[in-house]
Amino acid sequence: MKTVHAIQKQEKSGRPGRFFRQLSACFLAALCLSAFFPGCASARENGASVKEPASVTVFAMDTVMDITVYGGPEGLTADAEGLIHSLEAAFSVTDPDSEIYAVNEAGGGSVGADTEVLLLDALTLSERTGGTLDCTIYPVLRAWGFTAGDYRIPSAEELDALLPLVDWRSVELKDGHVSLEQGQMLDLGAVAKGYTGDRLIELFRSAGVTSALVNLGGNVQTLGTKPDGSLWRVAVADPFGEGYAGVVETADRAVVTSGGYERYFEEDGRIYRHILDPESGIPVDNGLVSVTVVGKSGVLCDGLSTALFVMGEKKAADFWRGADDFDAILLTEDGRILVTEGLERIFSPAGNWRDAPVTVIRHGEN
Amino acid sequence: MVKTKTWVFLIAGFLLVFLAAGAILCTRPAPGTVANIYRDGVVVRSVDLSLVTEPYEFTLTDARGSNVVRVEPGRIAVIGADCPDKVCVEAGWRSDSASPIVCLPHRLVIRIERDAAVGSADVPDTVSR
Amino acid sequence: MMKKGARRLTVDALFAAVALTIFVIELYIPSVGIPGVKLGLANIVTVTAAFLIGPWDAGAILLCRIVLGGIFSGQVMALWYSLAGGTLCWLTMLPLRRILTKKQIWVMSVIGAVAHNVGQILVALAVTRTAAILYYLPVLMVSGVLAGLFTGIAAQLAVNRLDGKIGRK
Repeated sequence: MKTVHAIQKQEKSGRPGRFFRQLSACFLAALCLSAFFPGCASARENGASVKEPASVTVFAMDTVMDITVYGGPEGLTADAEGLIHSLEAAFSVTDPDSEIYAVNEAGGGSVGADTEVLLLDALTLSERTGGTLDCTIYPVLRAWGFTAGDYRIPSAEELDALLPLVDWRSVELKDGHVSLEQGQMLDLGAVAKGYTGDRLIELFRSAGVTSALVNLGGNVQTLGTKPDGSLWRVAVADPFGEGYAGVVETADRAVVTSGGYERYFEEDGRIYRHILDPESGIPVDNGLVSVTVVGKSGVLCDGLSTALFVMGEKKAADFWRGADDFDAILLTEDGRILVTEGLERIFSPAGNWRDAPVTVIRHGEN
Repeated sequence: MVKTKTWVFLIAGFLLVFLAAGAILCTRPAPGTVANIYRDGVVVRSVDLSLVTEPYEFTLTDARGSNVVRVEPGRIAVIGADCPDKVCVEAGWRSDSASPIVCLPHRLVIRIERDAAVGSADVPDTVSR
Repeated sequence: MMKKGARRLTVDALFAAVALTIFVIELYIPSVGIPGVKLGLANIVTVTAAFLIGPWDAGAILLCRIVLGGIFSGQVMALWYSLAGGTLCWLTMLPLRRILTKKQIWVMSVIGAVAHNVGQILVALAVTRTAAILYYLPVLMVSGVLAGLFTGIAAQLAVNRLDGKIGRK
């Protein structure tokens, strides 16, 4: 039981000398330098851990909205809440004080800047999708009871009478003034949340925020990355159950899903979902159960998720091939997953969809 | 000098203590999973799901209506409600923070606020639906 | 004979290079999926150095390995965890070195590995501010003891062979 002899001898020469001070100085310098490597930015932020997230839950636009902002000035979430309520007050179809309500009642009228931009976006998307997305579907949607929850199946005659009203081309928008055909009604519900998300992200970005997560009733929009520099993990809900069908890892993108599985009713064993085909006025039933669109613009993703859902597998794939501003995930009733090329690496199936067959939609195929 | 045997016993003891601690923790649900129930954005009730051993139910009622909440070890669900759409009931069970249970007509939100430290990397940040 | 300073620098650099090599090789061993749980093979070099050349040199070698390893692996967040773990590990080595005999070197490795994991948990606590991380402690303690035993036995063998060949004047 004796201590190592060598160690005791070393004890004398083992104290830090000049050589050591130089060595330590070198390492300290290296450490400071490492803080300037691009990859280290996240570490600094994390190390300081000053970015406490500010979260707020807002009930608006007939849904619940969760907003989490990392950093930024005091009161930013309150501003966000105010913005949401002011946009809702302009876009609501059911609020008698809203701009859209007034236009629908009077068959036209002047609208504010936000409504004008949103309506223009909606009409542009209608044109781009060949009317698959139509912001004048409201009268038919109401006939099915999807707007108030008093679900019913309208008769063929009723639909025939209402369908001529569904035509985005007859909506006129000029210098902030809208005019509709007799009986036409606007509903910007398919793009309003996307637009709101874009405005929120814009608000946070201009306030110097580099990390924020917004979930507006299922419409997800991300600003930057997570505070630690890693990508946001956005799950896609499983249309058949409680869990999720997969996860998209992304930053600075909107991830918007349309499925019709959230609002539907059942009659005589048939399921009627709330997404209607503007052509026929009948709930879409084309084998798709969920469409998720990932892109930079929330309003685009919001509108296109509905449009692609209406289009169905084949047309949606063709539509994507002719575009370059989004990617999509399609889930089918028979349990298949289709993802467009751009998501091939960043989408991973999960839960009950973990072993589902995945088809990658690529450019230049048919 | 400390005998080698003593060291062996010390380390073995240390190992056993933490093995036991780990075993106790493993038999319980994920640590720190607290379900907070909000009404109009205000917490009205908190349930630490990791401490639940026997399932139980309770009813939350206000002027707008009532929701029956069922709690089981590590998870929570709304199993009954008098709201028109029943979305909260269809939402099913929740055991992680990725997405809350929402009853819009009653302005009720059930959210799991903290995830287990272990394996939380698998939990998404949010859910697109 | 080489001058004392030059010899010391050479030996330290040699140890640091070996530690770094082992560290980089270990990066290629698939992880078990739990962050913080790994063999920590580079610990062999730290312990060996602490016994053969002295604690200050071992500390310098450790620091060198952690900083360069962090840069090489590109995981800068991991660098801060390693620094905290390494510091705590080194602090336990100072007193242990005096009371351990030549045959008990493996003990230093076990306690060092456990201390290293404690340091990592402390950083995780500070970064995430989530007390739930403490639930993670048993996992890291048990894995620390096991990994420490493994590297300790390796270090013991290394010291047995190298004693008298390196580190003396």
